[in-house]
Amino acid sequence: MKKKRFSIKIKSRHLLAGLSILCFLMILGTLTSSAVPSPIRNVAGAIVTPFQNGVNRVGTVMNGWASGFKNVQKLSRENEELQSKIDDLTEENNRLIQSSEELKRLEELYKLDQEYPEYTKVAASVIAKDPGNWYSTFIINKGNADGLKVNMNVISGGGLVGIITETGEHWSKVRSIIDDENNISAMIATTSDTCIVSGNLASMSNGRIDFSELRDRGDVVAEGTSIVTSSISTQYLTGILIGYVAEVAEDSNHLTKYGTIIPAADFKNIREVLVIQELKQTKENS
Amino acid sequence: MKRKGVILILIWICFILQSTVFKLQTFTNVSPNLLLMMTVSIAFMQGKKEGLLTGFVSGLLIDVFFGTILGIYSLLYMLTGFAAGSFAQIYFDEDVTIPVALVTVADFILNFLIYVVGFLLRGRTAFPTYLLQIILPEMIFTAVMTLIFYRVIYKINHALSESEKEERQSLWIRD
Repeated sequence: MKKKRFSIKIKSRHLLAGLSILCFLMILGTLTSSAVPSPIRNVAGAIVTPFQNGVNRVGTVMNGWASGFKNVQKLSRENEELQSKIDDLTEENNRLIQSSEELKRLEELYKLDQEYPEYTKVAASVIAKDPGNWYSTFIINKGNADGLKVNMNVISGGGLVGIITETGEHWSKVRSIIDDENNISAMIATTSDTCIVSGNLASMSNGRIDFSELRDRGDVVAEGTSIVTSSISTQYLTGILIGYVAEVAEDSNHLTKYGTIIPAADFKNIREVLVIQELKQTKENS
Repeated sequence: MKRKGVILILIWICFILQSTVFKLQTFTNVSPNLLLMMTVSIAFMQGKKEGLLTGFVSGLLIDVFFGTILGIYSLLYMLTGFAAGSFAQIYFDEDVTIPVALVTVADFILNFLIYVVGFLLRGRTAFPTYLLQIILPEMIFTAVMTLIFYRVIYKINHALSESEKEERQSLWIRD
């Protein structure tokens, strides 16, 4: 009996060394390919995601109750505001329908053949977020089986949320645009001047993300200008709203501008997202 | 065997809670690091070996689900567990002050390393901002969680040790 116990015992120092080597091998192995072998992910996903799904639902319900009690007064006030907003919007909508009819007529007149792409979308809910506080990635409850693929764009509340970086059988990992390591090629909606939008943890505490390298030729960018994904981006579809300019300043070279954007999507309370089931056409995949 | 199973389940519960419920709260953006709390508590009670194994498994879970490069969190959490295990000699009873202090210090070191590897090396130099917005809130939050949950982990560990002792004795008797 005693002998058997001795043979199993490994010194902690040796175990540490062994596992450290294993870690370094894993780091080296995934440093270039940047994707964990899918079998590992799928097995792990099967053990964890159903529970995350369940716990999250319970948590959401409880959270809903808590904020429900808190917000009754606020809601009734908000309701009034929204009602008046609806009136305004209905009016505006009528006006827009008229102009869209007019546009259609004019387009026909000029035989314009421009297609506004209607993307097919799939709704998914967020079931888990990065347990650490440094990065902004999250997991949604749809995967390969639902037709999702890596690099599909994710939107919510009218704005770009992020991009799928990995997919499993019934879950996918989304890196959000506010993640500190995320960069997007973007442009000003009206003038198509390009810039780079990058997530920044420090700015995000004020609810903002950064943009830089903007060549504002017409000098039109001001607070409230909308910024959309650029047509030259390799991963993001063209013309998805990212957010509105909050601050803008000129670089010391007097050629480019930089500043911050308030994202259109509400990143504090992301529960449901839409995945656009269309990949950007690039040289490689077309 | 029983101990391994129970600790694995505890790690797993911490991971699920940390990535779901604790990310829902609205009053702060920062969530407590329950996995680190587990790693340090187990290391403090059981020593280096169990500490580093708990850390390795915790880190691996984060790596597999949320890391871009596999192995970084495994390594960091494992080293944390190993280091915390060296304090196991001063462990004697239900006292929570030492584990809370250990968890707080470990959380600071861990986050500082993540900052250096993931942010400073990419030219994000505003350390004070990150300290105030991420590191300190997480430290405080994790310390509070340890204050609440250390007793639970302690009780579970105690029960495990008792049942192990019984098993060993009954084996001796049988021999």
